[in-house]
Amino acid sequence: MLMRDLLQTASKGVTVNRGRSLLTMLGIIIGVGAVVLMTSVGRSMEGVILGQISVLGPDTVAVFPGNQGPEGGNSALRPDFDSLTFADADTLAQLDTVTDVAPVVFVSGNARYGTEESDPRIVGSLPGYYENQTVEAALGRLHDESDERTARSVVVIGSDIAEDLFLNQSPLDKRIEIANKKYTVIGVLKPVGTQFFQNADERIIIPFSTAIAVTHRTYADMIVLKAQGDLDLVLADVTSLLRQRHGIIPPMDGGTENDDFLIRSAAQAQEILGTVSLGLTLFITMIAGISLIVGGIGIMNIMLVSVTERTREIGLRKAVGARRRDILLQFLIESVFLTFIGGVIGVGIGLGLDYVLATAVGKYLDNYTFEVSIGAIVLALAMAAATGIAFGIYPARKAADLNPIEALQYE
Amino acid sequence: MSTPKHIPLIETKKLCKSYFNDDLETPVLFDIDLVIERGEFVAIMGPSGSGKSTLMHILGFLDHHTKGQFLFQGEPATKMDEDTLAKIRATRVSFVFQAFNLLPRTTVFQNVLLPLLYHPTIPAAEREGRVQRAIEAVGLSERSTYLSNQLSGGQKQRVAIARALVTQPEVIFADEPTGNLDSASGTHVMAALQALHRAGHTIILVTHEQSTAEHAERILKIYDGKITDDLRSFKRRHAKDGITIEK
Repeated sequence: MLMRDLLQTASKGVTVNRGRSLLTMLGIIIGVGAVVLMTSVGRSMEGVILGQISVLGPDTVAVFPGNQGPEGGNSALRPDFDSLTFADADTLAQLDTVTDVAPVVFVSGNARYGTEESDPRIVGSLPGYYENQTVEAALGRLHDESDERTARSVVVIGSDIAEDLFLNQSPLDKRIEIANKKYTVIGVLKPVGTQFFQNADERIIIPFSTAIAVTHRTYADMIVLKAQGDLDLVLADVTSLLRQRHGIIPPMDGGTENDDFLIRSAAQAQEILGTVSLGLTLFITMIAGISLIVGGIGIMNIMLVSVTERTREIGLRKAVGARRRDILLQFLIESVFLTFIGGVIGVGIGLGLDYVLATAVGKYLDNYTFEVSIGAIVLALAMAAATGIAFGIYPARKAADLNPIEALQYE
Repeated sequence: MSTPKHIPLIETKKLCKSYFNDDLETPVLFDIDLVIERGEFVAIMGPSGSGKSTLMHILGFLDHHTKGQFLFQGEPATKMDEDTLAKIRATRVSFVFQAFNLLPRTTVFQNVLLPLLYHPTIPAAEREGRVQRAIEAVGLSERSTYLSNQLSGGQKQRVAIARALVTQPEVIFADEPTGNLDSASGTHVMAALQALHRAGHTIILVTHEQSTAEHAERILKIYDGKITDDLRSFKRRHAKDGITIEK
């Protein structure tokens, strides 16, 4: 039998019962749709993660007090919250392999201007902070050493804070109130979007000396710095210096469990977020794979029903000269048709949902864009076709092995 | 100079057939010795359960015998593999069944086309012409686009005859072809078979009715799995309204 005839016969077998074929395909549609959607979402999230970190640059390093990770807003709630001293920051600044070392103190309180109020993240830090966080002034200026020397009551505000408090007015030289103290706005930062899923445009930066004066703090909430040269070497330098200063003896295996500080680089964060994203994608792809298997079993079931229903037809085909392989191929192609068409519909639905999702999420997450992975589509369709072959072979063999006369006389 | 040995189209020697259900053997045919020559119109006649259909299925390569010999043009069927049997069914024999066995929800044209899809030598370009000629020969040209379920019983059997002759096989087997038809439609079908015989085809007809068997030129009577009579049909019937056959 010619391949063209086989394809025509098989396509007729699928289209003759459209409703049933569509229901049979449902498992494959869901499976393939999920694969396409999740791989596309994975790629979009990768873009977001890269976006979160790309502003900082991979050589930005943050040292946190304690050993419980940087998560959890108030460091005072964590053990060893006061382990990082300002002297640590000064000593780190002596290293040749780092620049722009800036201790950070968080100040709590709302910002108010007239009747407008905002809930910013208030950062007290040195001018080096602007360098290692890669932020620039859009309006006015950033605070400098002279502001630090005199602990001047000045602030540099993020673009969202400027909008919240001042709407269309120029914020420069206006006096805002933070925790019952007045500050003069000297600059507005250029918008940078979200960093590590926090809105970086909702921060207010005050001079480090001013923050110390207000909070009377003797320890830093974190120290940020910029690595120069090989990142691993810099991390080793910083670790060894802090251990030396804190009198920490590391265990023989070189583990970090004795440390009272934690070092994170943007590159590490990128790696961790990337791993999490990949893990999530793999997990959901696995679920989609299970859906494909369930869909495949559905296909096998319906194909077995179809073989039983069409037993007389199979007998007739054999009586007019069909060989075993003609019948085998006819039913196998029907099964692959079902899964492949299901796959194509699944790709369409997956891409459609991804587009809707990208449009919706893109409004809230910078860098979340509609991503189409051609590789994932090809893989999903190939998996669908493979499912058709894997689950179609048994019914097709059952059909091909039918005895012609028994099949013709089947009631 | 010796004359070449005559080889009959179909020959059986001590042919037996039994069905097996677990260890239980049910014999159906016993020691059938039979010779059918090219161009004959033979009726195999017998009551229900006599084994006539089983014999036809074996002679038509739809079933296997269990003992004895079955030679088709001198070639023993037992030495043929499944692909060879399928090729013979595609090219040299064809069937007309009592239950018509047309593909449901399929047009007359598509039903008649079916054997050509499996024919190893007829090129695709020739198919349409052959199908149209076969449909025309049974007088159904006007209905070639009808679905099989839109036809009467007589028309369905004529489609089955068109399907049987579209490959121009040497032997046409007809198993109770008039069994599901009224007498007028039955006459029409028998006329068609007689026309095919006149056109040179070997016809093997299976029936339990004497009047139907009398359309053949030779009647083999079978009873309890044995051939009891092998007769020439002296008062042969001729059906009217025969079809035209293109050779």
